[in-house]
Amino acid sequence: MSDSPTHMIKSYEQELKRLRNLLTEMGGIVENQVALAAQAVVEKDADAAIRAVEEDPRADALEREAEQFVIRLLALRQPVANDLRQIVAALKMTGDLERIGDYAANIAKRSIVLAEFSLPYSLTGLAHMFRMVQENLKLVIDAVGDNDPDKAAQVWRSDDVVDEIYTALFRELVTYMMEDPRNITPCTHLLFIAKNLERIGDHATNIAETVHYAATGESLPGQRPKGNTSAYAVIRPSNP
Amino acid sequence: MSEQGGAAIRPQDTPERFLRNAAPSPKAEAAAAKITMETLNFYYGTNRALKDVSLSLPERQVTGMIGPSGCGKSTLLRVLNRMYDLYPGQRATGEVLMDGENIIAPDIDVNRLRSKIGMVFQKPTPFPMSIYDNISFGVKLHERLAKSAMDERVEWSLTRAALWSEVKDRLRTNALGLSGGQQQRLCIARSIAVRPEVILLDEPTSALDPISTLKVEELIDELKQDFTLAIVTHNMQQAARVADQVAFFYLGEMVEVGPAAQIFTAPRQRRTQEYITGRFG
Amino acid sequence: MRARRRRITNIAALSLGTAATAVGLLFLVWILLTTLINGFAALSPRLLTEMTPPPGSEGGLLNAIFGSTLLIVIAVAMGAPIGILAGTHLAEYGGKSAVAETIRFVNDILLSAPSIVMGLFVYEIVVRPAGHFSGWAGAIALAFILLPVVVRTTDETIRLVPITLREAALALGAPQWRVIVQILYPAARTGMITGLLLGVARISGETAPLLFTALNNQYWTANPAQPMANIPVVIFQFALSPYDAWHHLAWAGALLLTVFVLVVSVGARFLLRARID
Repeated sequence: MSDSPTHMIKSYEQELKRLRNLLTEMGGIVENQVALAAQAVVEKDADAAIRAVEEDPRADALEREAEQFVIRLLALRQPVANDLRQIVAALKMTGDLERIGDYAANIAKRSIVLAEFSLPYSLTGLAHMFRMVQENLKLVIDAVGDNDPDKAAQVWRSDDVVDEIYTALFRELVTYMMEDPRNITPCTHLLFIAKNLERIGDHATNIAETVHYAATGESLPGQRPKGNTSAYAVIRPSNP
Repeated sequence: MSEQGGAAIRPQDTPERFLRNAAPSPKAEAAAAKITMETLNFYYGTNRALKDVSLSLPERQVTGMIGPSGCGKSTLLRVLNRMYDLYPGQRATGEVLMDGENIIAPDIDVNRLRSKIGMVFQKPTPFPMSIYDNISFGVKLHERLAKSAMDERVEWSLTRAALWSEVKDRLRTNALGLSGGQQQRLCIARSIAVRPEVILLDEPTSALDPISTLKVEELIDELKQDFTLAIVTHNMQQAARVADQVAFFYLGEMVEVGPAAQIFTAPRQRRTQEYITGRFG
Repeated sequence: MRARRRRITNIAALSLGTAATAVGLLFLVWILLTTLINGFAALSPRLLTEMTPPPGSEGGLLNAIFGSTLLIVIAVAMGAPIGILAGTHLAEYGGKSAVAETIRFVNDILLSAPSIVMGLFVYEIVVRPAGHFSGWAGAIALAFILLPVVVRTTDETIRLVPITLREAALALGAPQWRVIVQILYPAARTGMITGLLLGVARISGETAPLLFTALNNQYWTANPAQPMANIPVVIFQFALSPYDAWHHLAWAGALLLTVFVLVVSVGARFLLRARID
């Protein structure tokens, strides 16, 4: 990306750079939110939860600013070709990033409730899912910053792993709920948390698809790998 | 129970991505007005070409004037440097204030005015002399400079006009040998050389190819650091790219004026919207 | 059918045009050849070293050549500045006004006025009061013939300079006179010089006005207050005489004149083309 010559009009070049910086800044905030949310759940850290929620308005403000900026760029610069793709992609990506932030805040809020319960089972699976999602998020935000379609394709491919973990978690939690009715409240929260996490993963994949199109002009092939079969899962009690 | 460490990425491990290299936001501050037009009317004989126009040109900003053919935008520009004085039967009424003086009053020294308000025309018009003489012609009208000072002034203006590197080895050759884009930049250099405060540009790129057009637009972007500019263009997209403030004219009236971003994203007047979106001539 | 008729018409018109050109060219070439052949016979270095001879003897054309040159120089010195200034005024300040158009009309009449009338006019106002013919009178008459040519070409070439050039100079704050002298004149220079050269070519061959004003002089003189020898009148005198030597000199003079006019005209055209490039 940085190899292509800069635009003849310096102020235009600066504006494109500013848009890119908006995106990476927003990416940073949102990454941080997810990390804080993970800490809040896995380590029952209430402070982290509060900070995750407090970051959210900043992400929202950046999204609004980016939207205004994109409209202005479209009106005043009449971009074409890859400039146009990049600018429209930025609009889509800030939307996805803002949703990720919202989901992270939601997880953080639930973690505060969850902390009141002492859980008889381990959250290893969930922690593992957190790690996977965070890695994908980091990779995709790198891809955004570097305008790298290969990194984007990598993220796109690894979403199915996250989905599989979610499906497994779904089964596990339902099993716990069937074993003991006292587990229902915490497990439901955990289920929502896992679902939000899976949605974060999906939005990261959206961003990856957008980055790839913006960089190359070609969409990634239609059907993305789907590992989320929880919609069809039927779990029966193990003993009659 | 929950696993400590290694399972989830902690917040303090996320790298600092808070780089804020933002370019300054679009100029929305109210800048001082360099030229203020109050109830300006202009007549070609009995035909009223400008009707009660009141417009300010903010200092060190680019004001773009758009509108269909014959709407009066070029006429307005030519009022500002009293070009209409040449033609009997053309007259202006109202006030045009620059630095407190009404420049359309009859007792104004027009030649001095024109050294403060320069103009670049649609068709590049190099004088039939060398490149050096083209630039020094205007300077010699108003200042007495020693040769070294004149050399410096010539170099300065050609550099500001992004032409120096292309012509520095042939300053004494005839200016008519330059290409169209170069000739227009020469005309810009010529206008800058007298150190005006305002530069008027009347469709400066309509006779140029796209690359030269872009070069001139970039030049305008740089010039506004030192000069106040007013540009008339029939190309709306150029006004969008280049202007800070845009005024839309129709049939001699100024319909709307505002920041470029506002005019091109959310114009207040219906006629402005119709013109910009190409829904009428 | 119609196509055939068209083709026939086409060929007929083309043939007629070619024939007309051929006829014109034929006479032109004939004249040139005749002048060349007859004049060549009389060419010798003596042409430039000796004066016009008395009847029957040999001689040269030195005094006539000098006289013609002097007359042309004085005529240009008198007529050109006035013509240029007048033409400039017409172009810049007259524009398309009724007064300017009238002046142009009168100028055009003067342009095609019979030169003998000019000569007679100058005879009345200069020769008669002075009591004798003179080089001054001749130069004045030639200047009167040159004047309308210069006025017209100056007027037209200055008006041809694009108005944007004028406005560009004015926009820098130049006063009107500087615009004229430093911008318009250089821009119109070629046209103006061409006009002047063509005017010179014309007056160098004018005979009738000189008959009434400079007349002729058998001897050498450099004093314009006296009658001056000049080539056209010499040709007139010598050609009608019965002396062979004089006939030869007349042809030589004709050749010189033709060559001069040719060089000036071709030079003017060459200048114009070089500038356009």
